[in-house]
Amino acid sequence: MMRTCRALLPRPGRRLRSGPGRLWDLPGDLQKTVSNFQNQLKENVTNLFKNPFFDEKRPPMQAEVVIAGGGVMGWSVAYWLKALEPRKNTLRVLVVERDTTYSRASTVLSVGGIRQQFSLPENIQMSRYSAYFLRTINEHLGVAGEPAIDIQFNPSGYLFLATEERAAMLEENVSIQRAEGSEVILLSPTQLKKKFPWLNTDGVALASYGLEDEGWFDPWSLLTAFRRKAISMGVHHCCGEVTSFTMAFYDTVTPTGEERTVSHIKYARIQMPDSLEYCQVACAIVVNAAGAWSRKLTEIAEVESSVSKTKQIFKLPVEPKKRYVYVWHSPDGPGLNCPMLIDTTGAYFRREGLGGNYVGGMSPAEDEEPDIQDLEVDHEFFQEKVWPKLAHRVPAFESLKVKGSWAGYYDYNTFDQNAVLGLHPTVLNMVFVTGFSGHGLQQSPAAGRAVAELILNKKFETINLSRFSADRFLSGEPVLERNIV
Amino acid sequence: MLKIIVPTMMLIPSTCLTATKNTWLSPTAYSAVIIILGMLVLNPGDTLMNTTGLLLGSDQISTPLLMLSCWLLPLMFMASQSSMSHNPAQQKRLFITALALLQLALMLVFMALDLMLFYTTFEATLIPTLMVIARWGSQTERLGAGLYFLLYTITSSMPLLIALLWVYNMKGTASITLLQLLPPMTLTFWTNTLLWTSLMLAFLVKIPIYGLHLWLPKAHVEAPIAGSMVLAAILLKLGGYGLLRITNLLTEQTTSSYILPLAVALWGALMTGMVCLRQTDLKSLIAYSSVSHMGLMTSSILTHNQLAPSGSMIMMVAHGLTSSMLFCLANINYERTHSRTLLLTQGVQLTAPAMTSWWLLACLTNMALPPTINFIGELTLMVSLFDWADITIFLTGLSAFITSFYTLHMFSSTQQGTLPTHIITMSPTQTREHLLMTLHSAPSIALIFMPQLMYCQ
Repeated sequence: MMRTCRALLPRPGRRLRSGPGRLWDLPGDLQKTVSNFQNQLKENVTNLFKNPFFDEKRPPMQAEVVIAGGGVMGWSVAYWLKALEPRKNTLRVLVVERDTTYSRASTVLSVGGIRQQFSLPENIQMSRYSAYFLRTINEHLGVAGEPAIDIQFNPSGYLFLATEERAAMLEENVSIQRAEGSEVILLSPTQLKKKFPWLNTDGVALASYGLEDEGWFDPWSLLTAFRRKAISMGVHHCCGEVTSFTMAFYDTVTPTGEERTVSHIKYARIQMPDSLEYCQVACAIVVNAAGAWSRKLTEIAEVESSVSKTKQIFKLPVEPKKRYVYVWHSPDGPGLNCPMLIDTTGAYFRREGLGGNYVGGMSPAEDEEPDIQDLEVDHEFFQEKVWPKLAHRVPAFESLKVKGSWAGYYDYNTFDQNAVLGLHPTVLNMVFVTGFSGHGLQQSPAAGRAVAELILNKKFETINLSRFSADRFLSGEPVLERNIV
Repeated sequence: MLKIIVPTMMLIPSTCLTATKNTWLSPTAYSAVIIILGMLVLNPGDTLMNTTGLLLGSDQISTPLLMLSCWLLPLMFMASQSSMSHNPAQQKRLFITALALLQLALMLVFMALDLMLFYTTFEATLIPTLMVIARWGSQTERLGAGLYFLLYTITSSMPLLIALLWVYNMKGTASITLLQLLPPMTLTFWTNTLLWTSLMLAFLVKIPIYGLHLWLPKAHVEAPIAGSMVLAAILLKLGGYGLLRITNLLTEQTTSSYILPLAVALWGALMTGMVCLRQTDLKSLIAYSSVSHMGLMTSSILTHNQLAPSGSMIMMVAHGLTSSMLFCLANINYERTHSRTLLLTQGVQLTAPAMTSWWLLACLTNMALPPTINFIGELTLMVSLFDWADITIFLTGLSAFITSFYTLHMFSSTQQGTLPTHIITMSPTQTREHLLMTLHSAPSIALIFMPQLMYCQ
């Protein structure tokens, strides 16, 4: 032991170091210390300015606009309200969504198509505006410092097939669409066969094909793009359910002389998820963007009027209707040259990706409407109803393998299957943006902008959508679309 | 003096002990009685103070402000009735107690003859105000607003405490009556400027002067209606009152440091006027207009002109009534539409034309239309500035022009324009609201014909 200790004592020629020598790297060390210090400082300063009382989960106590429903419509309205307000921070906007996983929302379960092939000029104008919006999406919804949005727009077009009886109507529709500026062409069966050799033109008299701004895109990307941009512009959001409203009632006389009780929403009561807690938000305007559940929300607002002396004059005719979507793989299928094909029978399909997968379905007949209690898929429906029709139209689909399926709700307007945009007749500050019956996603940018203009400027400016107001339910004049998918 | 202090103190137990159906009625009536007592008690003579002892007395500077704060207490109770209606009874009583404590502190500030009592009660006004803003305000931002309000005032008044103690040390007395009779000191040390700054800073922040005004828009916007009323009407005048006292008593020594706050305040009056033109929030607009009016008053006081004290007294009373009236009108709109932005509350002349006349009256007095007392006050202040330097007329004239610009913009935005369909039917105006407006404008109009009412003579 003594020997070992003596060996370690300093002797001439022996250094005291125990390890290999390290060069003292002054510049490198300094650099590292300085960058550590900067990171720590940034973290501390940001924590300092974070308001310890600010609760992200709960909504603010007052918001000028409360948007009930956080699907693509709700977030589109929120984005446009912030984009069109005259000065920054004029309005406080709150988006309330009860299911942040979007498990039953129509937006994310949508097939994602966009077409201009409608017969109402307003519908065509809305889709054209939305197509322009999607083309320039990074200018509108791009956030500095975040990756660019990829909407995965496949501009493959829509192909509507028509039988002999409906050929005239198709031709009229196409002329309306072309008058609005859409690039749609008519194809005869021979032209169809040349363009799409995989197609069986049996029974097809005429077809219309969209050349520009038609196709499909990723709905989830659009939703998150709207959401991200709106939040960066200062829109508040919370997870919760609007369960009741505090209303004020007044008796008025309409211009025609009849007495009516109108009401005004003062507070919206929002129930927090998974708890008994609720928050009251004082609001000036409530936007009903609840999609398939819009009627329930409207009934919450009208619930007291049924006990008043005047009977309830208004019932929003928007119901959820379940629609199935099936995904299958067919190696000999149409391949890349495949638009969204709408058959004469109503069955439709489109290409999904580049691996020979296809997505499609069909709207069931009136008497076969599936049960809306849950989103279970009926596979028999595909086997018995959809597949035969598709196999007849596209012979290659006789051999296909269903890979998967899902179901989603249409916010189906039972009155005329078109949008409901505008104010409620008796609840003075509820604005509808619902009832799109399956073509909501493609019209969401335009509809959001229209509602924002209605709120901020009290009238529609870009596209005149006054035909879609809720008053048509009272006067009984449907605004029917002739091309219902 | 005790005739009004003890009743105000007793307001608290009497509120807590009245039955719940009289929760608002009883304090309102009680504080109305205190107004009458105040008018009997306070009649200052020409030179010396009307005192009843060493500590409390009233002067021609403090009497108008005392009367203003007594007058506003029942008005605050009336204004808060509807917005506090959904709170349980105990919280309503707590609210009234907070306002009564604030009133007590304010009365003591204005009546204080001792510099230490003045300072203590000056600081004591902060706590009930913070309670009112932070507890009963309506947004999450009220906590930041309360913080800004508290920290700005406390930080700037710490030097004030030290300076006041130094004055007591140097002069041997802390009594205001005695200090105004002592000969002025001539201090030629470099600490002269430091002393001057520390005495002035607290009041400049309170008034507020342009660069130090950041707490005001936040506090005014986030406070509930009673909080906004008392902030705009009285608490700002604390700064003016302090400024008048300090310049009269303690800074007779020549110093050139008064030019900087004077210039900043004058410039600020113009700048905040222009900021008002771009405001979208109604309460924020009224808050910035307060800064503008008070800026003019600050610069006039700092010229040490003979017209300045009388001009600023008239201005303080006039602005207190007008600003409080505007906040009440904004609150009336807010209760019906739940929106403060000018965008969504347009064209209400169609639904509530009775309120339009009150809006017009409030906007005209805010614009300093002759012959209202606002006009007299503003004119006196402008003349005192002009006397000091000819060139200030450009700034004061421009600021008066911009004041009328944004006031008329506020009037036409709220009253005229397209009525949004969602507020076509609003609940009708209530007698309480009309009474509130009458009680704001009646003193204003009475003072046009008899200005000596301000001094209770």
